[in-house]
Amino acid sequence: MSERSVHRPQEPFRNPGWAGNSGEFELTEAELRGDDYVGTRPLDGGHPSGVSTYPFMMADKAPEAPLFEGAYLVRFEKIRGRYPELRAALLPTLALAHEIRGHLSPDTLRDVAGLLELPEAYVRGVASFYTMYNMRPVGRYLVQVCTNISCNLCGGDQVLAAFLDHLEVELGETTADGEFTVMEVECLAACGTPTAVQINSRYYENIIPSDVPALVQRLRTEGV
Amino acid sequence: MAFPYQHERETRVLSKGWGDPRTRTLDGWKALGGYEGLTKALGMSRHAVINEVKDSGLRGRGGAGFPTGVKWSFMPQEKTGPHYLCCNADESEPGTFKDRELLRWTPHQLIEGCLIGAYAIQAEHIFIYCRGEFFEAVQVLARAVEEAYEAGLVGKNILGSGVDIELTVHSGAGAYICGEETALMNSLEGRRGLPRVKPPFPAAVGAFGRPTTINNVETLCAIPHILHNGGAWYRSFGTEKSPGTKLFCVSGHVMRPGNYELPLGFPLKDLIYDVCGGLREGHTLKAVIPGGSSVPLLNQEEAEGCELSYEGVVEAGSMLGCASVIVMDDTTDVVKQVRRMVDFYAHESCGQCTPCREGTQWLARILRRIEQGQGTEEDLVTLRELGDQMTGTTICVLSDSAAAPVSSSMEKFPEEYHARLRARDPVGVV
Repeated sequence: MSERSVHRPQEPFRNPGWAGNSGEFELTEAELRGDDYVGTRPLDGGHPSGVSTYPFMMADKAPEAPLFEGAYLVRFEKIRGRYPELRAALLPTLALAHEIRGHLSPDTLRDVAGLLELPEAYVRGVASFYTMYNMRPVGRYLVQVCTNISCNLCGGDQVLAAFLDHLEVELGETTADGEFTVMEVECLAACGTPTAVQINSRYYENIIPSDVPALVQRLRTEGV
Repeated sequence: MAFPYQHERETRVLSKGWGDPRTRTLDGWKALGGYEGLTKALGMSRHAVINEVKDSGLRGRGGAGFPTGVKWSFMPQEKTGPHYLCCNADESEPGTFKDRELLRWTPHQLIEGCLIGAYAIQAEHIFIYCRGEFFEAVQVLARAVEEAYEAGLVGKNILGSGVDIELTVHSGAGAYICGEETALMNSLEGRRGLPRVKPPFPAAVGAFGRPTTINNVETLCAIPHILHNGGAWYRSFGTEKSPGTKLFCVSGHVMRPGNYELPLGFPLKDLIYDVCGGLREGHTLKAVIPGGSSVPLLNQEEAEGCELSYEGVVEAGSMLGCASVIVMDDTTDVVKQVRRMVDFYAHESCGQCTPCREGTQWLARILRRIEQGQGTEEDLVTLRELGDQMTGTTICVLSDSAAAPVSSSMEKFPEEYHARLRARDPVGVV
């Protein structure tokens, strides 16, 4: 019956004149994307009480690198001092290990468990509860496309499909050259600028499917 | 960029400095009257600060709408050990994107609000729990925290008042459930983010087993303005039961989506058709979710008559939640979008309670079947039964939240479901 044809596919939809070009704010694209901020971190971890976690999804990964030596040890000591209990340092410490090695391998989890005097199984239980820790290696660029409701209404599914088609890769898999892993992600809290895409530690907003090839090209040549 | 537009009908209090990178700095924030509220608060008794907030009628902006001053007054008066203030910046309710802008444009506004709150409840340490994905926001906040420490606004003997307050920014690692206050505390303690049974309430036994108050970012950001200008001033905005201004996050099929700061009690119709520039040309309104994915849907008629206050949205048949208005026009496939929301809850259920762990998976599977044209009448009955069984039977309200869009959409858009059902069972196939 024709009733079913009521459900037309939703066409991808970019809102006219977002902040980047509406002229209501005098901001550069770099300011809008937060280029000044994402990617910088005080090597020593900042003020003793300050911030526990800095961007930990890096393009360059060193899966065999030693953990918690030199500047990283200083950062770990600061993290530890920020909480009344040693166990509370677990999430920031996992993030730090992730930043160094690119994912949390069983060996990495064992090292973190030893450092924090926690059972290895407990650490694994916590690490696997949270979705941002990669428990296995991913590509240089981890592309996470939001397909939750607000983005979906404006074509989030098609943006995801465009990444998969353009990169010729299956959902959750890494391209043969090891450059890109594409995943679906839940709401990124950027619903006013659909579709939101998180690539490594940075958000790209207002993406429609036709933006994908240029964005991929830019990542290949300039990085995030 | 998600705030991006301004509108003349807005009342900009919290969002005043948005879009101007200078407000990210201490000097820029002070130029807007920053830290005057803190100075004033430190010159008052703790009791007087709480009373000022009570007088303002400020209600929690994280979704539940509990009066903030009352919440603060639950903290023990006699201090027998550490107290903690946690700021809930784990913004992840689908459709909500206000806290991110508050964090990245006005970090000092939040720090100031946290300090006043910590002073009022005698907390010696503030933990700002940000969602893990907010790397940019956290780094903006990081610079502001460094500045505040250097200026003696945080740390030992703040502004020479003899009060010591430490501040730490903690990041989550990707779990929606950590926005629930007791799950947030578990996550902060380095555990899985499992909600705790209440009582004991956090004001008695909270983070690290100590009395704790958890407030939303937007709530704490309103505090400096209330202290600076007085509770009565704050009451001059909004309605009797819902005083003040509120950030409305509008997303979906509108021409100008974004964050708009409006007095509570604003008509939803005007928000969509005037402030947000209406729908795309040639389209009509189908449904609106007024408070993030966890609240019931409104149909066109209900939405157009709805007043955006805590009590007004309840009257219209939904909840204000965190005022995340998701607008859907006539191209929307309601079954698909509801299924997508339910997939989200199935993914985010922590798995502690059976009705939620099993129920969300059941809902998702049945809805997918209906979406693919394989559903039956019995499936609709099962969906209704599941909704009943998932409501009010679990530790936290994630389960209720998953059921709300399903039950409300079945009630308000039955034709969408019926049109998708399999015509009849083929003979001989079970």
